[in-house]
Amino acid sequence: MRIRRRQFLLGSAALITAGAAGFRPASAAETDLRQIFWGGQERAKRTYKANDLYSAANPSTKLTGEFYAWDDYWAKLATETAGGNAPDLIQMDYRYIVEYANRQALAPLDEFVGKELDLADFDKDQIEGGKVKGKLYGISLGANSVASVLNEAAFKEAGVPLPDNNFTYDDVMTVGEAFNKANIRGGMKAFQDGSGVEPALENWLRQRGKGLYTAEGKLGFDEQDLTEWFQMWKKFRDAGVIPSPEDQALDTGGPLDKTMIALGKSAQSFVNSNQLVAVQAIMKDPVTISAFPRIGKDGKGGHYRKPSQLWSIASASKHKPDAAKYISYFINDKDANLVLGVERGIPCAASVRDAVAPTLKAQDQVALKFVSNLGDLLGPIPPPPPPNAGEVDIQLLPKSQEVAFGQATPEEAGPAFVQQAKDILSRKG
Amino acid sequence: MTSEAARGPSAVGGKKSKRLNVILAHAALVIASIAMLYPLLWMLAAAFRPENEIFSTSSIIPSAISLGSFVRGWNGLQVSFSTFFINSFVISVLSVIGNLAACSVTAFAFARLKFWGKNIWFALMLGTLMLPYQVTLIPQYVLFHNIGWVNTFLPLVVPKYLAVDSFFIFLMTQFFRGIPRELDEAASIDGCSTFQIYWKIMLPLSTPALVTAGIFTFIFTWDDFFGPLIYLNDMKNYTVTLALRSFVDSTAQSDYGGLFAMSILSLVPIFLFFLFFQRLLIEGIATTGMKR
Amino acid sequence: MTVRPIGAETEAPAIGHTVIPSRWAKFWARNGAGYAFLTPWLLGFFGLTLGPALISLYLSFTNFNLLQAPTWVGDDNYVRIFTADPRFLQSLRVTFFFVLFSVPLKLAFALAVALLLNRGLRGLPLYRAIFYLPSLLGASVAIAVLWRELFASDGVINQLLAPLGIVGPSWISNPRYALWTIILLSVWQFGSPMIIFLAGLRQIPQDVYEAAAIDGASKSRQFWSITLPLLTPVVFFNAIIQGIEAFKSFTPAFIISGGTGNPINSTLFYTLYLYQEAFAYFRMGNAAALAWILLIIIALFTGISFLTSRYWVYYDE
Repeated sequence: MRIRRRQFLLGSAALITAGAAGFRPASAAETDLRQIFWGGQERAKRTYKANDLYSAANPSTKLTGEFYAWDDYWAKLATETAGGNAPDLIQMDYRYIVEYANRQALAPLDEFVGKELDLADFDKDQIEGGKVKGKLYGISLGANSVASVLNEAAFKEAGVPLPDNNFTYDDVMTVGEAFNKANIRGGMKAFQDGSGVEPALENWLRQRGKGLYTAEGKLGFDEQDLTEWFQMWKKFRDAGVIPSPEDQALDTGGPLDKTMIALGKSAQSFVNSNQLVAVQAIMKDPVTISAFPRIGKDGKGGHYRKPSQLWSIASASKHKPDAAKYISYFINDKDANLVLGVERGIPCAASVRDAVAPTLKAQDQVALKFVSNLGDLLGPIPPPPPPNAGEVDIQLLPKSQEVAFGQATPEEAGPAFVQQAKDILSRKG
Repeated sequence: MTSEAARGPSAVGGKKSKRLNVILAHAALVIASIAMLYPLLWMLAAAFRPENEIFSTSSIIPSAISLGSFVRGWNGLQVSFSTFFINSFVISVLSVIGNLAACSVTAFAFARLKFWGKNIWFALMLGTLMLPYQVTLIPQYVLFHNIGWVNTFLPLVVPKYLAVDSFFIFLMTQFFRGIPRELDEAASIDGCSTFQIYWKIMLPLSTPALVTAGIFTFIFTWDDFFGPLIYLNDMKNYTVTLALRSFVDSTAQSDYGGLFAMSILSLVPIFLFFLFFQRLLIEGIATTGMKR
Repeated sequence: MTVRPIGAETEAPAIGHTVIPSRWAKFWARNGAGYAFLTPWLLGFFGLTLGPALISLYLSFTNFNLLQAPTWVGDDNYVRIFTADPRFLQSLRVTFFFVLFSVPLKLAFALAVALLLNRGLRGLPLYRAIFYLPSLLGASVAIAVLWRELFASDGVINQLLAPLGIVGPSWISNPRYALWTIILLSVWQFGSPMIIFLAGLRQIPQDVYEAAAIDGASKSRQFWSITLPLLTPVVFFNAIIQGIEAFKSFTPAFIISGGTGNPINSTLFYTLYLYQEAFAYFRMGNAAALAWILLIIIALFTGISFLTSRYWVYYDE
């Protein structure tokens, strides 16, 4: 038995309201584009200013923006989409775009490219990053890379040079021991415990020539990989060069104010390059960013430039060409991007990037330089993750905690997690 | 205060031991108060701290007092907080009226009237308390979307007039049951209609219950964020609680000072509402004088 | 004394009529007042509550990813939940533990404070307001930050323990204690049951105490044989409501664990798991099945409470 969802829901709703439908106000003559994104006030201010510029140039288009915090955003968006009230312009995340595109909630943008949507100047790898199963579903709003955020003052106090892009996992041990010897700020550690951080695992796997997922959407690593991963972190933990399991568990993997660097438990945390400014905002000490550690002197290709966020268009939108035109403006217009800055990441259109670069503050410059100077650390963008990949990510943290708190050995947790991940990926619906 | 002091059981007993008892009771209450209030004081202090010191100390005495967080917070969003306060107030007051009216008539029916299927309806009423709202959310959204109520206060307020909040029906039913039946029987013999019994006997006698329900409705509505999150789109329609959530995005820069400052301010109206009506809580009981 | 049910008074005029009342009129005469008073609730129940509830029941037998049409899968969701879902079991464990400890503790605390406050002490309104303050906060975002400041390894609690020579763990992030910090949060916000207890205490007629005092009953005897029995309807109400609320408890865990239920799923509340399934993993069908299982669990709990209430709840009827 198969019932069209909207028909079914609408049908039952209509029954209940007994013909009360039909009260919806007629839409005005001008085009009204609803836009939804997650973020803070800073992002909202910049976005709305860009919207005003757009409306000034296109008086027939009115933009109504809404923004929510990350946690609230996805519940709101899912409800609106399921309720047949999806906004026209949707800010998408690199992971969620797969979930939404696979379920036909987003419109393919290929038909607009070269017409409403101008991608001539756009970085090729960032166009790839917006594709799912060969179709374009999202336009990257900024190139981004994972990065270690470092507390400069703490490294100075400990008398340890700042990690650079040649830093290795072996160095985590030596630097950690130096920190312990210096015993600064009530026993601050050098590095955080990264065993439950999926981007750190991915970076490590990529240096080993693997990845989280294969192009076919299968798991890209095996029991051995994960056992070694947990073993490596256990070695650090046993040597006391990373925070205790309890301290590390304060970081729930979400808010930046709970990261080990923000809490003063360690002098480093695994974040994204565009979060440097946000981390600085909650910290007194000066911070900077550097690459994730290499697995050895010749470990390379772990990093990649991924879309920090993307604009997508709802498949239910009645104004797709107008929305595409707006996206084109958003990524290509120099004035708009002087307002937007690099708050969402490094602009992906070359001419825009050149125009924006000189106006940036010192820390934004750091992020921009970091992403464009990754050298041999930079590898190709991985294939889009399969459905349910988000759940696999979320399950890594509790599994790593089992090892950290001594409830499982790395030799048990490695195979257990691989099995769990396979089970999750094989689930339908 | 004197009439109150005479009410408690402690009015009976030796004078000396009574005094000691009072001192002990106060001591216990003061210690408990401090424990209760410490976290709130911490938040208050955080709101007054300069922005970069918020997480640097767990002391509740700020090194310097700064009003910066309040100023930043008040105008930190595209719409000023005065609008959010007005919205919250309108929604909360309308909800209080709706809940009191609708739940009290329903509770009266359950507590006092006899009708076919009463126990079944009562069980169904309780049953609606038990289903997690997360799963009825989407069908309800579809419903309100189709009547064109999304982005208005209506989905948040109208249900209150249809007594969908079983908690309050149950609360009032329990209270009504505690009122001696002789009173309404006497009124019934005097020729009062059922409505008159509800209006002239039950309602005045259950002022404490109504005030309790009113206070709770106001506070629960004020604190609710999921309903406003789902049904309100335009920031001009936001409530205070929803606006507060816009301060913290886990992936970008968040203004914690502004969050704490506005959190403190958002407590003020509900606290005042509570302070004002809690007097009625006592007076209501004092005037009815539940003697048999 | 024969107690004439109210609402039956409309019967009286019908008796004098020469026309034999139809069955409908008879039904109306007996039940009209009741249903008239029930009308707003019936409208709400059928218009707003029942429809969405039945749809969710239907959805529990489907795969529904929110974005596409639901597909019928029979009892697959239920079978999977009961046979191959370790997180369902874990969330049940967490929730039962929470209900078992938070509800009695919260009620005991609320009752104790209400009794203290009911002694006619000076400053009652002030105390009552202070004790209610934490409940005003609800599930504010600020709570998450606050709780970490209190219960982290270098938090306030451990700073207080330090002079006693105790080195406390990081309560909030240790899988052994994390759930307890959430129980504590729930107990801390004991304002609502306290207010209801206070109102209930005030409903107890004073003359009963006076009579008891004259008979020479001690304070503790007065409590056990007067206060508590007369308060049982309110205790019952609070227990039912707090029990149901505890089973459905969502926001505290959501806020404190950042929606994850960690460390090691030790704070994975039932509704948190349900929420993850629905909105993070797009399995609304499965979430609906979880919701109906929870409804049955709560209904059993409430039903048993109502059955036992005959033996310990005192009604003036």
